[in-house]
Amino acid sequence: MKHVGSIAGREVRALFVSPVAYCVLSLFAIIAGFLFVAHVRAFDEWVIRYQQMQAFEQLSELNLNDHVIMLFLQSMTVVLLFAVPALTMGLFAAEKANGTQELLLTSPLTIWDIVLGKFFAGAIFVLLLGTIVGAFPALLFAYGDPEPLRTLSGLLGLVLVGLTYVAIGVFASSLTRSQIVAFLLSFAILFVLFLLPALAELDLAGSAWLGDFLRWLSTETHLQDLLKGLVDTQHLAYFAVMIAAFLVLTKASVESVRWR
Amino acid sequence: MIEARHLSKHYGEIAAVRDVSFQVGRGEVVGFLGPNGAGKTTTMRMLTGFLPPSDGTALIAEHDIFGDPIAARRAVGYLPETLPLYPEMSVRTYLEFVARIKDVPRGGLRSSVERAMERCGLEHMARRVIGALSRGFRQRVGLAQAIVHDPAVLILDEPTVGLDPLQVREIRKLIRDLASPQAGQTQHTVILSTHILPEVEAICRRVILMSRGRKVVDAPLEELVRGGRTLDEIFVRETARDDVEAEAS
Repeated sequence: MKHVGSIAGREVRALFVSPVAYCVLSLFAIIAGFLFVAHVRAFDEWVIRYQQMQAFEQLSELNLNDHVIMLFLQSMTVVLLFAVPALTMGLFAAEKANGTQELLLTSPLTIWDIVLGKFFAGAIFVLLLGTIVGAFPALLFAYGDPEPLRTLSGLLGLVLVGLTYVAIGVFASSLTRSQIVAFLLSFAILFVLFLLPALAELDLAGSAWLGDFLRWLSTETHLQDLLKGLVDTQHLAYFAVMIAAFLVLTKASVESVRWR
Repeated sequence: MIEARHLSKHYGEIAAVRDVSFQVGRGEVVGFLGPNGAGKTTTMRMLTGFLPPSDGTALIAEHDIFGDPIAARRAVGYLPETLPLYPEMSVRTYLEFVARIKDVPRGGLRSSVERAMERCGLEHMARRVIGALSRGFRQRVGLAQAIVHDPAVLILDEPTVGLDPLQVREIRKLIRDLASPQAGQTQHTVILSTHILPEVEAICRRVILMSRGRKVVDAPLEELVRGGRTLDEIFVRETARDDVEAEAS
């Protein structure tokens, strides 16, 4: 696995010479700014409204963590549904379209070198997105006093969701040679994953076991606790399992090129 | 250096390559001939480890492609039919990347890349972006990529396709040099596929002719053209005879 770094390094460089990375980063930053301002203003209005109503009880319940940061981070994970597939769509698909897949597969590399290299390239990008998102709550520390640990836990949740999305995006990209197909496919998988809790609420099959399983399968369920500041090993394990599962699938998919 | 043992490749019902065996010694330059669809590319892909054979195996520099695939792949330089280039990279960073994934030791990286660029006449193109290069220079980058780790075996799939006559001449000279190097350079064993017959006459000393997935001729070039026959005639006769047999069976 000594070549993971070579593969990841090349991939990150490639992302930064293409316009895709800059488009995603700047769009992401703009949307983050817009949503952040919207949440802060909403918070502001509630404060003013409660003050006018002299509702001191409700006023004391308002806090920056629950009513700004948590909502902001949650809305940013929705933006990740679009941003991550745009970053990962080319990871394998472009390799096939360029013909460079033949170079990688005839080099003394293991499939894990290639798969992990691609995943880490995406992971570096997600950390970058996490930094952009983190900058906004950091502003609040200058003007208020949100709880730092809860904020960090929420950010961790966002990054873990992002990493899971990368693993899924890498997998989708390994299935096709078209970047557009890879984008749509990973977006479709992510969207279904995102909607699973709602599906579980419908309770179509009428089985509690299935409902629980669907809720467990969704990133949303686990994100909620992290946003509330509950860093439970159960949730960390969930993200580890999801990432590992999709990377194993990717490995099988890349390997299958050889057996077709 | 190269030993193919009963290589076969089936895609479902279709047999792309059927029971092909041959041996190539150190420093030989072998021309892989045959009409389109004869199984040349598939055979080469099996030798490079890109495709696993359905049956049979191959040894590259004494390493079995199944038993020790990493060592076998390390010993091969491969120029596929479609050039495996990243258009956004510069020539030097691309070759450095290839050298790294081909296990060139860190200390020798720079010199390996310089040497490959020099042999392929790319010294002045080091900083150019690959996507902006002409077809001829891209072909040279493809060749430089195949030799950057100084492999014992070179497998070149149609190395001169799409080049102008002058470039073709240069690439052919380069391939000849690779097989009979000056002192201090590695002697490469070369297999190259082509359907340009004069190309074989210009660089190869031995010919393997494939038709419909089978090896139909395997002989030194001198022997084949003895008695005034041209390679052209042999090509037509052997591939045509195979057609007749196929229809009869």
